[in-house]
Amino acid sequence: MQKILIAEDDEKLRNELKIFLIKNGYDAEILEKFDNTINDILQIKPDLLLLDINLPNIDGEYICKEIRKQSDMPIIIITSRDSEIDELLCSNYGADHYITKPFNIQILLAKISTLLKRSTLTGNQEKINANEFVLNISKNTIEKNEKEIELTRNEFRILKYLVERRNKIVSREEIMEFLWDSESFIDDNTLTVNITRLRNKLEELDLKSLLETKRGQGYILK
Amino acid sequence: MNFHKFIKDKVIQMILLVFAIFTIEIFLLPNNYNNFIRIYIPMILVVTYVISIVIEFCTKRKFYNKIVDFINDLDEKYLIAELIKNPNFCEGELLIETLKQTEKSMLENVNKYKYLQEDYKEYIELWIHEIKIPIAASKMIIENNKNQVTKSIDEELDKVENFVEQALYYARSNNLEKDYYIKKSNLKEIVNECIKKNKSILIEEDTLINLHDLDMIVNTDDKWIMFILNQILQNSIKYRKANIQSKIEIYAEKFKEKIVLHIKDNGIGIKSGEVERVFEKGFTGTNGRLSNKKSTGIGLYLCKKLCDKLGIGIKIESVQNEGTEVIIIFPNSSYVQLD
Repeated sequence: MQKILIAEDDEKLRNELKIFLIKNGYDAEILEKFDNTINDILQIKPDLLLLDINLPNIDGEYICKEIRKQSDMPIIIITSRDSEIDELLCSNYGADHYITKPFNIQILLAKISTLLKRSTLTGNQEKINANEFVLNISKNTIEKNEKEIELTRNEFRILKYLVERRNKIVSREEIMEFLWDSESFIDDNTLTVNITRLRNKLEELDLKSLLETKRGQGYILK
Repeated sequence: MNFHKFIKDKVIQMILLVFAIFTIEIFLLPNNYNNFIRIYIPMILVVTYVISIVIEFCTKRKFYNKIVDFINDLDEKYLIAELIKNPNFCEGELLIETLKQTEKSMLENVNKYKYLQEDYKEYIELWIHEIKIPIAASKMIIENNKNQVTKSIDEELDKVENFVEQALYYARSNNLEKDYYIKKSNLKEIVNECIKKNKSILIEEDTLINLHDLDMIVNTDDKWIMFILNQILQNSIKYRKANIQSKIEIYAEKFKEKIVLHIKDNGIGIKSGEVERVFEKGFTGTNGRLSNKKSTGIGLYLCKKLCDKLGIGIKIESVQNEGTEVIIIFPNSSYVQLD
Protein backbone atom coordinates (compact mmCIF):
# COMPACT_ATOMS: atom_id res chain seq x y z
CA MET A 1 0.00 0.00 0.00
CA GLN A 2 1.23 3.41 -0.82
CA LYS A 3 1.83 5.76 2.05
CA ILE A 4 0.52 9.30 1.98
CA LEU A 5 1.63 11.77 4.62
CA ILE A 6 -0.72 14.60 5.56
CA ALA A 7 1.01 17.71 6.86
CA GLU A 8 -1.94 19.90 7.78
CA ASP A 9 -2.47 21.73 11.04
CA ASP A 10 -6.26 21.74 11.13
CA GLU A 11 -7.05 18.68 13.21
CA LYS A 12 -10.51 17.89 11.89
CA LEU A 13 -9.54 18.37 8.29
CA ARG A 14 -6.51 16.10 8.52
CA ASN A 15 -8.40 13.37 10.40
CA GLU A 16 -11.20 13.36 7.84
CA LEU A 17 -8.68 13.40 5.04
CA LYS A 18 -6.97 10.40 6.60
CA ILE A 19 -10.26 8.49 6.87
CA PHE A 20 -11.05 9.33 3.28
CA LEU A 21 -7.66 8.24 1.95
CA ILE A 22 -7.74 4.98 3.90
CA LYS A 23 -11.24 4.33 2.53
CA ASN A 24 -9.81 4.76 -0.94
CA GLY A 25 -7.09 2.24 -0.47
CA TYR A 26 -4.12 4.29 0.64
CA ASP A 27 -2.10 4.15 3.79
CA ALA A 28 -2.43 7.60 5.30
CA GLU A 29 -0.39 9.08 8.07
CA ILE A 30 -0.73 12.38 9.87
CA LEU A 31 2.01 14.69 10.99
CA GLU A 32 0.97 15.75 14.50
CA LYS A 33 3.78 18.05 15.53
CA PHE A 34 5.43 20.75 13.57
CA ASP A 35 8.64 21.47 15.50
CA ASN A 36 10.88 19.43 13.29
CA THR A 37 8.75 19.16 10.23
CA ILE A 38 11.31 18.66 7.50
CA ASN A 39 13.19 15.91 9.31
CA ASP A 40 9.96 14.18 10.30
CA ILE A 41 8.77 14.12 6.73
CA LEU A 42 12.07 12.79 5.44
CA GLN A 43 12.11 10.12 8.13
CA ILE A 44 8.60 8.89 7.42
CA LYS A 45 9.48 8.70 3.72
CA PRO A 46 5.95 8.78 2.34
CA ASP A 47 5.17 7.93 -1.27
CA LEU A 48 3.34 11.22 -1.50
CA LEU A 49 3.09 14.32 0.64
CA LEU A 50 -0.01 16.47 1.10
CA LEU A 51 1.36 19.73 2.36
CA ASP A 52 -0.46 22.71 3.81
CA ILE A 53 1.22 26.03 3.13
CA ASN A 54 0.26 27.68 6.41
CA LEU A 55 1.86 25.49 9.03
CA PRO A 56 2.81 26.63 12.51
CA ASN A 57 6.50 27.44 13.07
CA ILE A 58 7.46 26.92 9.49
CA ASP A 59 6.44 28.03 6.04
CA GLY A 60 5.17 25.34 3.71
CA GLU A 61 6.99 26.85 0.78
CA TYR A 62 10.27 26.52 2.64
CA ILE A 63 9.50 22.88 3.49
CA CYS A 64 8.80 22.22 -0.14
CA LYS A 65 12.12 23.68 -1.19
CA GLU A 66 14.10 21.84 1.46
CA ILE A 67 12.50 18.48 0.74
CA ARG A 68 13.16 18.87 -2.95
CA LYS A 69 16.87 19.18 -2.16
CA GLN A 70 16.89 15.68 -0.69
CA SER A 71 13.98 13.78 -2.15
CA ASP A 72 11.80 13.72 -5.21
CA MET A 73 8.66 12.47 -3.52
CA PRO A 74 5.51 13.84 -5.16
CA ILE A 75 4.14 16.85 -3.28
CA ILE A 76 0.62 18.21 -3.50
CA ILE A 77 0.17 21.56 -1.85
CA ILE A 78 -3.15 22.25 -0.16
CA THR A 79 -3.82 25.86 0.57
CA SER A 80 -6.52 28.41 1.00
CA ARG A 81 -4.54 31.05 -0.86
CA ASP A 82 -5.85 30.96 -4.35
CA SER A 83 -4.19 33.58 -6.49
CA GLU A 84 -2.41 32.78 -9.71
CA ILE A 85 0.82 34.08 -8.21
CA ASP A 86 0.73 31.64 -5.28
CA GLU A 87 0.25 28.82 -7.72
CA LEU A 88 3.23 29.95 -9.73
CA LEU A 89 5.39 30.20 -6.61
CA CYS A 90 4.47 26.69 -5.54
CA SER A 91 5.54 25.15 -8.79
CA ASN A 92 8.76 27.12 -8.50
CA TYR A 93 9.41 25.48 -5.17
CA GLY A 94 9.02 22.09 -6.74
CA ALA A 95 5.47 21.08 -5.82
CA ASP A 96 3.82 18.78 -8.33
CA HIS A 97 0.28 20.00 -7.82
CA TYR A 98 -1.56 22.77 -6.13
CA ILE A 99 -5.07 22.48 -4.83
CA THR A 100 -7.14 25.10 -3.06
CA LYS A 101 -9.40 24.71 -0.07
CA PRO A 102 -12.19 23.82 -0.12
CA PHE A 103 -11.16 21.24 -2.65
CA ASN A 104 -13.08 18.87 -4.86
CA ILE A 105 -12.17 15.61 -3.23
CA GLN A 106 -12.48 13.59 -6.42
CA ILE A 107 -10.02 15.88 -8.13
CA LEU A 108 -7.61 15.48 -5.24
CA LEU A 109 -7.98 11.73 -5.50
CA ALA A 110 -7.37 11.80 -9.25
CA LYS A 111 -4.25 13.92 -8.77
CA ILE A 112 -2.94 11.58 -6.09
CA SER A 113 -3.48 8.53 -8.24
CA THR A 114 -1.80 10.01 -11.33
CA LEU A 115 1.17 11.20 -9.28
CA LEU A 116 1.61 7.84 -7.58
CA LYS A 117 1.35 6.02 -10.87
CA ARG A 118 3.99 8.23 -12.31
CA SER A 119 6.38 7.84 -9.42
CA THR A 120 6.12 4.05 -9.07
CA LEU A 121 5.34 3.13 -12.65
CA THR A 122 3.24 0.21 -11.45
CA GLY A 123 -0.12 1.66 -12.33
CA ASN A 124 0.74 1.86 -15.97
CA GLN A 125 -1.18 -1.28 -16.74
CA GLU A 126 -2.81 -1.51 -20.10
CA LYS A 127 -5.39 -4.11 -19.25
CA ILE A 128 -7.69 -4.80 -16.36
CA ASN A 129 -8.61 -8.42 -15.87
CA ALA A 130 -12.20 -8.79 -14.70
CA ASN A 131 -12.29 -12.62 -14.73
CA GLU A 132 -15.01 -13.10 -17.36
CA PHE A 133 -13.54 -10.42 -19.62
CA VAL A 134 -10.59 -8.08 -19.99
CA LEU A 135 -10.73 -4.28 -20.23
CA ASN A 136 -8.17 -2.86 -22.62
CA ILE A 137 -7.50 0.69 -21.43
CA SER A 138 -5.37 1.85 -24.32
CA LYS A 139 -7.89 0.70 -26.94
CA ASN A 140 -11.17 1.25 -25.05
CA THR A 141 -12.29 -2.30 -25.75
CA ILE A 142 -13.60 -5.38 -23.93
CA GLU A 143 -11.96 -8.65 -24.80
CA LYS A 144 -13.31 -12.13 -24.24
CA ASN A 145 -11.97 -15.31 -25.81
CA GLU A 146 -10.24 -13.59 -28.73
CA LYS A 147 -13.37 -11.57 -29.35
CA GLU A 148 -12.99 -7.83 -29.04
CA ILE A 149 -15.69 -5.17 -28.90
CA GLU A 150 -15.05 -1.48 -29.09
CA LEU A 151 -16.74 0.81 -26.57
CA THR A 152 -17.28 4.53 -26.71
CA ARG A 153 -15.38 6.59 -24.20
CA ASN A 154 -18.37 6.94 -21.90
CA GLU A 155 -19.39 3.30 -22.09
CA PHE A 156 -15.84 2.32 -21.27
CA ARG A 157 -15.66 4.69 -18.33
CA ILE A 158 -18.93 3.39 -16.93
CA LEU A 159 -17.85 -0.22 -17.26
CA LYS A 160 -14.46 0.47 -15.70
CA TYR A 161 -16.14 2.27 -12.82
CA LEU A 162 -18.45 -0.71 -12.28
CA VAL A 163 -15.57 -3.18 -12.49
CA GLU A 164 -13.70 -1.25 -9.82
CA ARG A 165 -16.79 -1.51 -7.60
CA ARG A 166 -17.71 -5.05 -8.37
CA ASN A 167 -20.59 -6.62 -6.46
CA LYS A 168 -21.59 -3.28 -5.01
CA ILE A 169 -24.68 -1.34 -5.93
CA VAL A 170 -23.66 1.81 -7.74
CA SER A 171 -26.28 4.54 -8.01
CA ARG A 172 -26.96 6.41 -11.22
CA GLU A 173 -25.97 9.56 -9.40
CA GLU A 174 -22.57 8.16 -8.51
CA ILE A 175 -21.94 7.21 -12.12
CA MET A 176 -23.03 10.65 -13.26
CA GLU A 177 -20.73 12.39 -10.80
CA PHE A 178 -17.86 10.21 -11.87
CA LEU A 179 -18.48 10.97 -15.54
CA TRP A 180 -18.78 14.69 -14.84
CA ASP A 181 -15.51 14.61 -12.94
CA SER A 182 -13.91 13.13 -16.04
CA GLU A 183 -15.39 16.02 -18.03
CA SER A 184 -18.14 14.14 -19.75
CA PHE A 185 -21.15 16.27 -18.89
CA ILE A 186 -24.06 14.06 -19.83
CA ASP A 187 -27.68 14.26 -18.73
CA ASP A 188 -29.90 11.57 -17.33
CA ASN A 189 -31.25 10.52 -20.70
CA THR A 190 -27.81 10.08 -22.20
CA LEU A 191 -26.79 7.92 -19.26
CA THR A 192 -29.74 5.63 -19.92
CA VAL A 193 -28.77 5.41 -23.57
CA ASN A 194 -25.16 4.68 -22.65
CA ILE A 195 -26.13 1.95 -20.23
CA THR A 196 -28.46 0.35 -22.79
CA ARG A 197 -25.74 0.36 -25.42
CA LEU A 198 -23.25 -1.03 -22.96
CA ARG A 199 -25.70 -3.77 -22.13
CA ASN A 200 -26.16 -4.60 -25.82
CA LYS A 201 -22.43 -4.80 -26.29
CA LEU A 202 -22.10 -7.03 -23.27
CA GLU A 203 -24.79 -9.22 -24.76
CA GLU A 204 -22.70 -9.69 -27.87
CA LEU A 205 -20.12 -11.30 -25.62
CA ASP A 206 -22.78 -13.26 -23.69
CA LEU A 207 -22.05 -11.19 -20.60
CA LYS A 208 -25.43 -9.50 -20.30
CA SER A 209 -26.34 -11.27 -17.09
CA LEU A 210 -23.41 -9.59 -15.31
CA LEU A 211 -24.93 -6.12 -15.35
CA GLU A 212 -28.08 -5.94 -13.31
CA THR A 213 -30.42 -3.05 -12.66
CA LYS A 214 -31.52 -2.56 -9.08
CA ARG A 215 -34.77 -0.68 -9.32
CA GLY A 216 -34.59 2.64 -7.55
CA GLN A 217 -31.03 2.04 -6.40
CA GLY A 218 -28.79 1.75 -9.41
CA TYR A 219 -26.69 -0.90 -11.08
CA ILE A 220 -24.57 -3.77 -9.95
CA LEU A 221 -21.89 -5.71 -11.81
CA LYS A 222 -21.87 -9.28 -10.58
CA MET B 1 -7.96 88.46 -14.61
CA ASN B 2 -10.42 91.10 -15.47
CA PHE B 3 -9.35 94.79 -15.59
CA HIS B 4 -12.80 96.00 -14.53
CA LYS B 5 -12.78 93.99 -11.35
CA PHE B 6 -9.20 94.98 -10.65
CA ILE B 7 -10.12 98.68 -10.93
CA LYS B 8 -13.17 98.16 -8.78
CA ASP B 9 -10.91 96.89 -5.99
CA LYS B 10 -8.93 100.14 -6.31
CA VAL B 11 -11.93 102.49 -5.89
CA ILE B 12 -11.09 103.41 -2.30
CA GLN B 13 -7.48 104.21 -3.21
CA MET B 14 -8.71 106.41 -6.02
CA ILE B 15 -11.18 108.28 -3.84
CA LEU B 16 -8.39 108.86 -1.30
CA LEU B 17 -6.10 110.12 -4.06
CA VAL B 18 -8.74 112.54 -5.34
CA PHE B 19 -9.29 113.70 -1.77
CA ALA B 20 -5.52 114.23 -1.31
CA ILE B 21 -5.26 116.24 -4.54
CA PHE B 22 -8.27 118.25 -3.50
CA THR B 23 -6.74 119.19 -0.09
CA ILE B 24 -3.38 120.03 -1.69
CA GLU B 25 -5.15 122.32 -4.13
CA ILE B 26 -6.97 124.00 -1.22
CA PHE B 27 -3.66 124.58 0.60
CA LEU B 28 -2.10 125.96 -2.53
CA LEU B 29 -4.99 128.36 -3.16
CA PRO B 30 -4.11 131.26 -0.72
CA ASN B 31 -0.47 131.42 -1.84
CA ASN B 32 0.39 132.79 -5.19
CA TYR B 33 1.89 129.80 -6.88
CA ASN B 34 1.88 129.75 -10.61
CA ASN B 35 -0.38 127.55 -12.61
CA PHE B 36 2.43 125.17 -13.50
CA ILE B 37 2.83 124.01 -9.89
CA ARG B 38 -0.92 123.80 -9.41
CA ILE B 39 -1.28 121.54 -12.42
CA TYR B 40 1.99 119.67 -12.03
CA ILE B 41 1.36 118.34 -8.50
CA PRO B 42 -1.99 116.62 -9.22
CA MET B 43 -0.73 115.46 -12.60
CA ILE B 44 2.41 113.83 -11.17
CA LEU B 45 0.36 112.14 -8.45
CA VAL B 46 -2.19 110.75 -10.90
CA VAL B 47 0.45 109.63 -13.44
CA THR B 48 2.59 107.80 -10.86
CA TYR B 49 -0.52 106.20 -9.41
CA VAL B 50 -1.68 105.02 -12.82
CA ILE B 51 1.77 103.62 -13.67
CA SER B 52 1.91 101.77 -10.37
CA ILE B 53 -1.46 100.13 -10.80
CA VAL B 54 -0.71 99.19 -14.43
CA ILE B 55 2.49 97.45 -13.29
CA GLU B 56 0.60 95.75 -10.48
CA PHE B 57 -2.13 94.67 -12.85
CA CYS B 58 0.36 93.18 -15.30
CA THR B 59 2.26 91.10 -12.73
CA LYS B 60 -0.87 89.88 -11.05
CA ARG B 61 -2.59 89.09 -14.31
CA LYS B 62 0.37 87.01 -15.40
CA PHE B 63 0.41 85.09 -12.15
CA TYR B 64 -3.30 84.47 -11.76
CA ASN B 65 -3.85 83.64 -15.40
CA LYS B 66 -1.20 80.99 -15.10
CA ILE B 67 -3.00 79.52 -12.10
CA VAL B 68 -6.28 79.47 -13.99
CA ASP B 69 -4.64 77.80 -16.99
CA PHE B 70 -3.02 75.13 -14.82
CA ILE B 71 -6.26 74.44 -13.01
CA ASN B 72 -8.03 73.92 -16.31
CA ASP B 73 -5.35 71.64 -17.71
CA LEU B 74 -4.62 69.56 -14.63
CA ASP B 75 -6.41 66.29 -13.95
CA GLU B 76 -5.30 66.22 -10.38
CA LYS B 77 -6.02 69.83 -9.56
CA TYR B 78 -4.67 69.58 -6.04
CA LEU B 79 -1.15 69.43 -7.43
CA ILE B 80 -1.37 73.07 -8.56
CA ALA B 81 0.87 74.38 -5.76
CA GLU B 82 3.74 72.24 -7.04
CA LEU B 83 3.63 73.84 -10.46
CA ILE B 84 3.45 77.56 -9.75
CA LYS B 85 6.71 79.49 -9.46
CA ASN B 86 6.99 81.68 -6.44
CA PRO B 87 5.54 85.09 -7.28
CA ASN B 88 7.28 88.27 -6.21
CA PHE B 89 4.37 89.78 -4.36
CA CYS B 90 3.10 88.89 -0.94
CA GLU B 91 -0.53 88.05 -1.78
CA GLY B 92 0.68 85.47 -4.27
CA GLU B 93 3.14 83.99 -1.84
CA LEU B 94 0.38 83.69 0.71
CA LEU B 95 -1.82 81.96 -1.83
CA ILE B 96 0.88 79.47 -2.78
CA GLU B 97 1.65 78.76 0.84
CA THR B 98 -2.04 78.16 1.57
CA LEU B 99 -2.40 75.86 -1.42
CA LYS B 100 0.64 73.86 -0.36
CA GLN B 101 -0.69 73.43 3.15
CA THR B 102 -4.09 72.39 1.82
CA GLU B 103 -2.56 69.88 -0.53
CA LYS B 104 -0.44 68.38 2.19
CA SER B 105 -3.30 68.05 4.60
CA MET B 106 -5.53 66.56 1.92
CA LEU B 107 -2.91 63.99 0.92
CA GLU B 108 -2.47 63.00 4.53
CA ASN B 109 -6.19 62.55 4.87
CA VAL B 110 -6.48 60.56 1.64
CA ASN B 111 -3.55 58.38 2.67
CA LYS B 112 -5.22 57.66 5.93
CA TYR B 113 -8.24 56.23 4.11
CA LYS B 114 -6.10 54.45 1.57
CA TYR B 115 -4.31 52.75 4.39
CA LEU B 116 -7.56 51.92 6.15
CA GLN B 117 -8.99 50.43 2.98
CA GLU B 118 -5.85 48.42 2.29
CA ASP B 119 -5.86 47.23 5.86
CA TYR B 120 -9.48 46.17 5.61
CA LYS B 121 -8.88 44.36 2.34
CA GLU B 122 -5.98 42.48 3.89
CA TYR B 123 -8.18 41.48 6.78
CA ILE B 124 -10.93 40.30 4.43
CA GLU B 125 -8.44 38.20 2.47
CA LEU B 126 -7.07 36.72 5.66
CA TRP B 127 -10.55 36.04 6.96
CA ILE B 128 -11.52 34.35 3.72
CA HIS B 129 -8.49 32.09 3.85
CA GLU B 130 -9.38 31.21 7.42
CA ILE B 131 -13.05 30.49 6.71
CA LYS B 132 -12.09 28.19 3.87
CA ILE B 133 -10.48 25.76 6.32
CA PRO B 134 -13.66 24.91 8.25
CA ILE B 135 -15.55 24.78 4.94
CA ALA B 136 -12.98 22.30 3.61
CA ALA B 137 -13.15 20.30 6.83
CA SER B 138 -16.95 20.20 6.70
CA LYS B 139 -16.83 19.04 3.11
CA MET B 140 -14.43 16.26 4.07
CA ILE B 141 -16.73 15.16 6.90
CA ILE B 142 -19.64 15.09 4.44
CA GLU B 143 -17.56 13.08 1.97
CA ASN B 144 -16.86 10.52 4.66
CA ASN B 145 -20.47 10.37 5.81
CA LYS B 146 -22.54 10.48 2.66
CA ASN B 147 -26.28 10.39 3.10
CA GLN B 148 -29.33 12.46 2.27
CA VAL B 149 -28.82 14.83 5.19
CA THR B 150 -25.16 15.53 4.53
CA LYS B 151 -25.88 15.92 0.83
CA SER B 152 -28.34 18.63 1.65
CA ILE B 153 -25.81 20.29 3.97
CA ASP B 154 -23.25 20.00 1.18
CA GLU B 155 -25.49 22.01 -1.12
CA GLU B 156 -25.82 24.70 1.50
CA LEU B 157 -22.04 24.70 1.95
CA ASP B 158 -21.67 25.29 -1.78
CA LYS B 159 -23.75 28.42 -1.32
CA VAL B 160 -21.60 29.54 1.60
CA GLU B 161 -18.52 28.96 -0.52
CA ASN B 162 -19.97 31.06 -3.28
CA PHE B 163 -20.74 33.96 -0.95
CA VAL B 164 -17.23 33.76 0.45
CA GLU B 165 -15.78 33.89 -3.06
CA GLN B 166 -17.95 36.90 -3.82
CA ALA B 167 -16.60 38.71 -0.78
CA LEU B 168 -13.03 37.94 -1.80
CA TYR B 169 -13.48 39.24 -5.32
CA TYR B 170 -15.43 42.23 -4.08
CA ALA B 171 -12.44 43.17 -1.96
CA ARG B 172 -10.15 42.60 -4.92
CA SER B 173 -12.30 44.56 -7.34
CA ASN B 174 -12.05 47.68 -5.19
CA ASN B 175 -8.33 47.50 -4.97
CA LEU B 176 -6.39 50.06 -6.93
CA GLU B 177 -3.41 47.83 -7.46
CA LYS B 178 -3.12 45.10 -10.00
CA ASP B 179 -4.23 41.96 -8.28
CA TYR B 180 -4.34 39.64 -11.22
CA TYR B 181 -1.89 37.75 -13.31
CA ILE B 182 -2.42 37.53 -17.05
CA LYS B 183 -1.26 34.39 -18.74
CA LYS B 184 -2.29 32.15 -21.59
CA SER B 185 -5.26 30.06 -20.49
CA ASN B 186 -7.33 27.46 -22.24
CA LEU B 187 -11.03 28.33 -22.32
CA LYS B 188 -12.01 24.68 -22.34
CA GLU B 189 -10.19 24.01 -19.09
CA ILE B 190 -11.76 27.03 -17.43
CA VAL B 191 -15.28 26.10 -18.53
CA ASN B 192 -14.86 22.44 -17.56
CA GLU B 193 -13.60 23.45 -14.15
CA CYS B 194 -16.65 25.65 -13.58
CA ILE B 195 -19.10 22.98 -14.64
CA LYS B 196 -17.42 20.50 -12.35
CA LYS B 197 -17.65 22.95 -9.51
CA ASN B 198 -21.43 23.09 -9.90
CA LYS B 199 -21.93 19.46 -10.77
CA SER B 200 -24.08 18.42 -7.79
CA ILE B 201 -26.86 20.87 -8.55
CA LEU B 202 -26.51 20.50 -12.32
CA ILE B 203 -26.82 16.73 -12.10
CA GLU B 204 -29.65 16.94 -9.64
CA GLU B 205 -31.58 19.25 -11.94
CA ASP B 206 -30.72 17.02 -14.91
CA THR B 207 -29.28 19.87 -16.92
CA LEU B 208 -28.32 19.32 -20.53
CA ILE B 209 -24.81 20.69 -20.97
CA ASN B 210 -23.67 21.43 -24.49
CA LEU B 211 -20.05 22.54 -24.82
CA HIS B 212 -18.40 23.02 -28.18
CA ASP B 213 -15.63 24.96 -29.94
CA LEU B 214 -13.94 25.81 -26.68
CA ASP B 215 -10.38 24.72 -27.39
CA MET B 216 -8.97 28.22 -27.61
CA ILE B 217 -6.29 30.16 -25.80
CA VAL B 218 -7.08 33.52 -24.23
CA ASN B 219 -4.78 35.89 -22.39
CA THR B 220 -6.29 36.42 -19.00
CA ASP B 221 -6.24 35.52 -15.33
CA ASP B 222 -8.05 32.18 -15.30
CA LYS B 223 -8.97 32.42 -11.61
CA TRP B 224 -10.85 35.65 -12.22
CA ILE B 225 -12.55 34.28 -15.32
CA MET B 226 -13.51 31.19 -13.40
CA PHE B 227 -15.15 33.33 -10.77
CA ILE B 228 -17.01 35.36 -13.41
CA LEU B 229 -18.16 32.23 -15.25
CA ASN B 230 -19.24 30.70 -12.00
CA GLN B 231 -21.49 33.68 -11.24
CA ILE B 232 -23.04 33.44 -14.68
CA LEU B 233 -23.53 29.71 -14.42
CA GLN B 234 -25.16 30.06 -11.06
CA ASN B 235 -27.57 32.58 -12.49
CA SER B 236 -28.45 30.12 -15.22
CA ILE B 237 -29.12 27.50 -12.58
CA LYS B 238 -31.03 29.87 -10.34
CA TYR B 239 -33.25 31.29 -13.04
CA ARG B 240 -34.03 28.04 -14.82
CA LYS B 241 -37.55 27.16 -15.91
CA ALA B 242 -39.35 24.81 -13.59
CA ASN B 243 -41.30 22.77 -16.10
CA ILE B 244 -38.76 21.89 -18.79
CA GLN B 245 -35.24 20.43 -18.90
CA SER B 246 -32.64 23.17 -18.43
CA LYS B 247 -30.15 23.56 -21.19
CA ILE B 248 -26.85 25.39 -20.97
CA GLU B 249 -24.80 25.88 -24.10
CA ILE B 250 -21.28 27.26 -23.91
CA TYR B 251 -19.18 27.89 -26.99
CA ALA B 252 -16.60 30.31 -28.30
CA GLU B 253 -16.06 32.05 -31.61
CA LYS B 254 -12.70 33.12 -32.89
CA PHE B 255 -12.31 36.41 -34.73
CA LYS B 256 -9.23 38.13 -35.97
CA GLU B 257 -8.92 40.50 -33.07
CA LYS B 258 -11.04 38.82 -30.40
CA ILE B 259 -12.41 35.61 -28.98
CA VAL B 260 -16.06 35.67 -27.97
CA LEU B 261 -17.43 33.30 -25.37
CA HIS B 262 -21.18 32.63 -25.29
CA ILE B 263 -23.04 31.20 -22.31
CA LYS B 264 -26.60 30.51 -23.31
CA ASP B 265 -29.44 29.09 -21.26
CA ASN B 266 -33.11 28.40 -21.77
CA GLY B 267 -34.17 29.89 -18.45
CA ILE B 268 -36.86 32.39 -17.57
CA GLY B 269 -34.98 35.27 -19.19
CA ILE B 270 -34.95 38.91 -18.22
CA LYS B 271 -37.76 41.39 -18.75
CA SER B 272 -37.01 43.77 -21.58
CA GLY B 273 -36.02 47.13 -20.17
CA GLU B 274 -34.27 45.46 -17.27
CA VAL B 275 -31.47 43.87 -19.31
CA GLU B 276 -29.55 47.14 -19.45
CA ARG B 277 -29.58 47.45 -15.69
CA VAL B 278 -28.41 43.99 -14.61
CA PHE B 279 -24.82 45.14 -14.12
CA GLU B 280 -25.87 47.87 -11.69
CA LYS B 281 -24.94 47.32 -8.10
CA GLY B 282 -27.87 46.08 -6.07
CA PHE B 283 -30.20 45.77 -9.04
CA THR B 284 -32.43 42.76 -8.53
CA GLY B 285 -35.19 43.31 -11.05
CA THR B 286 -38.44 41.42 -11.38
CA ASN B 287 -36.65 38.04 -11.35
CA GLY B 288 -34.70 38.86 -8.24
CA ARG B 289 -37.87 39.62 -6.36
CA LEU B 290 -39.45 36.26 -7.15
CA SER B 291 -40.17 34.61 -3.84
CA ASN B 292 -37.61 31.82 -4.06
CA LYS B 293 -34.70 33.56 -5.74
CA LYS B 294 -33.30 35.97 -3.16
CA SER B 295 -31.10 37.97 -5.48
CA THR B 296 -28.48 40.24 -3.93
CA GLY B 297 -27.69 42.25 -7.03
CA ILE B 298 -23.98 41.75 -6.47
CA GLY B 299 -23.00 38.86 -8.75
CA LEU B 300 -23.29 40.50 -12.16
CA TYR B 301 -22.18 43.86 -10.81
CA LEU B 302 -18.95 42.21 -9.70
CA CYS B 303 -18.61 40.39 -13.03
CA LYS B 304 -18.76 43.67 -14.90
CA LYS B 305 -16.32 45.34 -12.56
CA LEU B 306 -13.81 42.51 -12.79
CA CYS B 307 -14.17 42.38 -16.57
CA ASP B 308 -13.45 46.10 -16.74
CA LYS B 309 -10.33 45.60 -14.68
CA LEU B 310 -9.15 42.73 -16.86
CA GLY B 311 -9.93 44.69 -20.00
CA ILE B 312 -12.49 42.26 -21.37
CA GLY B 313 -16.03 42.96 -22.51
CA ILE B 314 -19.22 41.51 -21.10
CA LYS B 315 -22.81 41.91 -22.25
CA ILE B 316 -26.14 40.25 -21.79
CA GLU B 317 -28.90 39.55 -24.23
CA SER B 318 -32.16 38.08 -23.13
CA VAL B 319 -35.69 37.38 -24.21
CA GLN B 320 -38.16 36.92 -21.41
CA ASN B 321 -39.47 33.36 -21.15
CA GLU B 322 -36.94 32.15 -23.71
CA GLY B 323 -33.54 32.44 -22.15
CA THR B 324 -30.47 34.51 -21.49
CA GLU B 325 -27.16 34.74 -23.28
CA VAL B 326 -24.05 36.19 -21.69
CA ILE B 327 -21.30 37.20 -24.07
CA ILE B 328 -17.74 37.66 -22.91
CA ILE B 329 -15.28 39.24 -25.29
CA PHE B 330 -11.56 38.61 -24.92
CA PRO B 331 -9.62 41.04 -27.07
CA ASN B 332 -6.52 39.65 -28.78
CA SER B 333 -4.51 42.66 -27.85
CA SER B 334 -0.99 42.78 -29.19
CA TYR B 335 0.02 44.23 -25.88
CA VAL B 336 -0.60 41.04 -23.95
CA GLN B 337 0.95 38.90 -26.64
CA LEU B 338 4.33 40.54 -26.32
CA ASP B 339 5.72 37.79 -24.12
